[in-house]
Amino acid sequence: MTIRKELWFGFSLMAVIILVTVIFMPWSTMTSGHLGLLMLSLVVVAIMLGFPTAFTLMGMGVFFAWLSYRGVNPDVAVKHTLDLMVQRTYAVMSNDVLIAIPLFVFMGYLVERAALIEKLFKSLHLAMARVPGSLAVATIVTCAIFATATGIVGAVVTLMGLLAYPAMLKAGYNAKVGAGAITAGGCLGILIPPSVLLIVYGATAGVSVVQLYAGAFFPGLMLAALYVGYIIVLALIKPELMPPLPEAERKVVLPPLAAALAARGRNALTGLMGGFGTGRSGSAVLGQLLISLAPLVVVVSLLGTVYYSLTSPVVVDDTAGLVQAGGSFAAEENERKPEAGGLAEPKEESTGLAEPKEESTGLAEPKAESSGLTEPKGAGGGSTEPKANASPPASAAAPGTASVAAKSAAAASAKAADKPAAAVVAGPRVDAPLWFWWVAGGFVLALALLYWLWTWERLEIFKMLLGSFFPLAVLILAVLGSIVFGLSTPTDAAAGGAFGGCLLAAAYRYMALRKAPSPIGATVRELGGIIKESSFLTAKTSAMVCWLFVGSSIFSAAFALLGGQELVEKWVLSLGLTPIQFMILAQFIIFILGWPLEWTEIIVIFMPIFIPLLPKFGIDPLFFGLLVALNLQTAFLSPPVAMAAFYLKGVSPPHVTLNAIFAGMMPFMGIQVVALILLYVFPEIGLWLPKVLYGR
Amino acid sequence: MQKLLLSIDRLSTWVGQAFSWVIVLLTLHISWEVFSRYVLNNPRAWAFDVMIMMYGTLFMMAGAYTLSKNGHVRGDVLYSFFKPRTQATLDLILYFLFFIPGVIALTFAGWEYAADSLRINEHSNITADGPPVYPFKMIIPLAGAFLLAQGIVEIVRCVICIRQGEWPSREQDVEEVDVEKLKVMVHAEDINAIAEPRK
Repeated sequence: MTIRKELWFGFSLMAVIILVTVIFMPWSTMTSGHLGLLMLSLVVVAIMLGFPTAFTLMGMGVFFAWLSYRGVNPDVAVKHTLDLMVQRTYAVMSNDVLIAIPLFVFMGYLVERAALIEKLFKSLHLAMARVPGSLAVATIVTCAIFATATGIVGAVVTLMGLLAYPAMLKAGYNAKVGAGAITAGGCLGILIPPSVLLIVYGATAGVSVVQLYAGAFFPGLMLAALYVGYIIVLALIKPELMPPLPEAERKVVLPPLAAALAARGRNALTGLMGGFGTGRSGSAVLGQLLISLAPLVVVVSLLGTVYYSLTSPVVVDDTAGLVQAGGSFAAEENERKPEAGGLAEPKEESTGLAEPKEESTGLAEPKAESSGLTEPKGAGGGSTEPKANASPPASAAAPGTASVAAKSAAAASAKAADKPAAAVVAGPRVDAPLWFWWVAGGFVLALALLYWLWTWERLEIFKMLLGSFFPLAVLILAVLGSIVFGLSTPTDAAAGGAFGGCLLAAAYRYMALRKAPSPIGATVRELGGIIKESSFLTAKTSAMVCWLFVGSSIFSAAFALLGGQELVEKWVLSLGLTPIQFMILAQFIIFILGWPLEWTEIIVIFMPIFIPLLPKFGIDPLFFGLLVALNLQTAFLSPPVAMAAFYLKGVSPPHVTLNAIFAGMMPFMGIQVVALILLYVFPEIGLWLPKVLYGR
Repeated sequence: MQKLLLSIDRLSTWVGQAFSWVIVLLTLHISWEVFSRYVLNNPRAWAFDVMIMMYGTLFMMAGAYTLSKNGHVRGDVLYSFFKPRTQATLDLILYFLFFIPGVIALTFAGWEYAADSLRINEHSNITADGPPVYPFKMIIPLAGAFLLAQGIVEIVRCVICIRQGEWPSREQDVEEVDVEKLKVMVHAEDINAIAEPRK
């Protein structure tokens, strides 16, 4: 019997693991710690056999836990094993971090079924028609946005394989480049928050999901930007790989009104302003004009809000006490972030969103209060528990904070106690700081440029983006923003996101069915179908992830019981590695594990082993998590189990071979490694935002 | 026999699908709670307990459903390249080695755990006057029992596969990546019509 090439890889990997175990195991002087290591290597082999991983872990965990207890006292071994098992299970069932998983998954399925990807891709592709390699760039941007909102790699890759791949092949793109762009882009959802991977990591490692989300945001954007940069450079160097689109493909068809007015001038804004009274319908012209002015309105209102809150009169109300308490709390470098810092004053939220920089000053300088506390900011002070925010008066917040804060907060709360919370002592408006005028100037310049280039075609593209790109972006930013600025817990935000996804799906279904005989009835029926399918899928996916968690937590309990952890620790420390060497070793191991295993398995089985080692080397678990999340991107693109490749192969024309897809993915894997190195060399890419927001 | 198997399959699916509606309730519950907390300024103390219970119930009760649709994650590196008969043999052995002991232990332990909780009339201690916890703990043995029943069906499937050389079919269910449906969604054209570019 000839063994297939693919099997060789797996078998040799298994053989290596077993061989290493057999050779290095001190069979004559075996301690229970060695038994733990034996269990670890056995479980990798067992997982590779292909049995559902959750039950492999559960079965092994139960057996080895029993073995461990039996070594201590055979009489109560069974009872202890059962107790351990059920307590571990119950801990997963009542885990307040994992609860966000089904909600985010539900949101993802709803957004996916809203069927807006086609519009999204078309509008982005038209918007980027002049960029070199425009189709591939549009593919990556579409993937990044859509994958972020849905987080379902298989669906994103399949959809883009159906949508963008034929378009790219027809435009004469190289099949490998196109395949690489789709597969790499589709996996971005794993990294860019809100992603399930980060929740699973947070729950395993005991790191705040909020901070992970804030930290993963820029590395995710960086990776997407590197992909886009690579495509553009490649298109410039080798135009034959990605020929520019023919004129016909780029042309935007103007509606009759615009076409008629376009004859009078290229600029849409002046054209529309002069369009009244030319015999056209006034309301139609007005509608177009309002859409054209939308960016202006948004910018003006944004700047206005910021200006208003920056220059708001000196306020001495209960917020001062809260900010004070929060500020000194942060200065104390306490692990718990300034819970009381924000949210007592919801009206500050918009400021927090608009200008995150400002918060750093608010939090970093607790003494600001003495100088009048001109900026009662602190919205999004990194609160992880909205319950703490519900306590309105400062006097209630003060006892909850540390004793250091209590003294200064007491002064403020005494002030606040003099008058009702609503009463505000108004002073003269203060001047806006200089940076505000710089930012405002930048916005005005950008607006001027925008309107100078505002042709009729661009107006049409803008309208298309308005219908596809912006709703999704707003949904993502609202969910993400409310989490990282501490306005709500990930769970609350995820539920809000799911609700928003439902509304999105309803809106798009309604638009698609507008011309049907009874649009509302049809929409409700379709929405019902979408919700039903999404909830079934959500149940299956959550069961998959959470049962894996049940299995792994029983398994890792057994591993810890046997003392395997101590052995690993002793061994690693005896190597005398520097932190850098340890980091590289850890990432390399994870990279290698990414070949045979999936990310869920890697995180739930191996993170409990790595995490306890981190303090020994002075490595921040948050930073480690970001590196792991970036690293595990490669797990999706590395043959032979690269899921993404198989999904794409399933929907690509027969002449595109699996090997061609793998070959196309390789440069993107290289970029991932580059991104990993970049993040390692410049940790600020990931840690800057958490530092600014939560003062860590 | 075959009929019995299918009916257990259908039961798992029905239970799992019935409980999957909990996600809709959970979404509405949290959305309303957030609205009530921030807008109406009326937080409800039991909201958090109920949230956790909904989540735990959702995924535990969907375990058997997921198993019946072969939805639990597998290490694919070798498995997908095996012949069905090899797959079934491996699965059969590992069901007896890992699954049956693990799930029986879970069910049994869960039963005692829940019974203890019921005996002392345990209530949640996250908030004062919290809701009772024993129904939630009862979910463990219940989910374990459904899982065990479905596991036995899967074992019989393995035996059938070893005899016939191919896997018996499963009942259709909504798929995460349903290519035909996705094609309709994006109005995809026939991929075979795209010609290979001239070299």
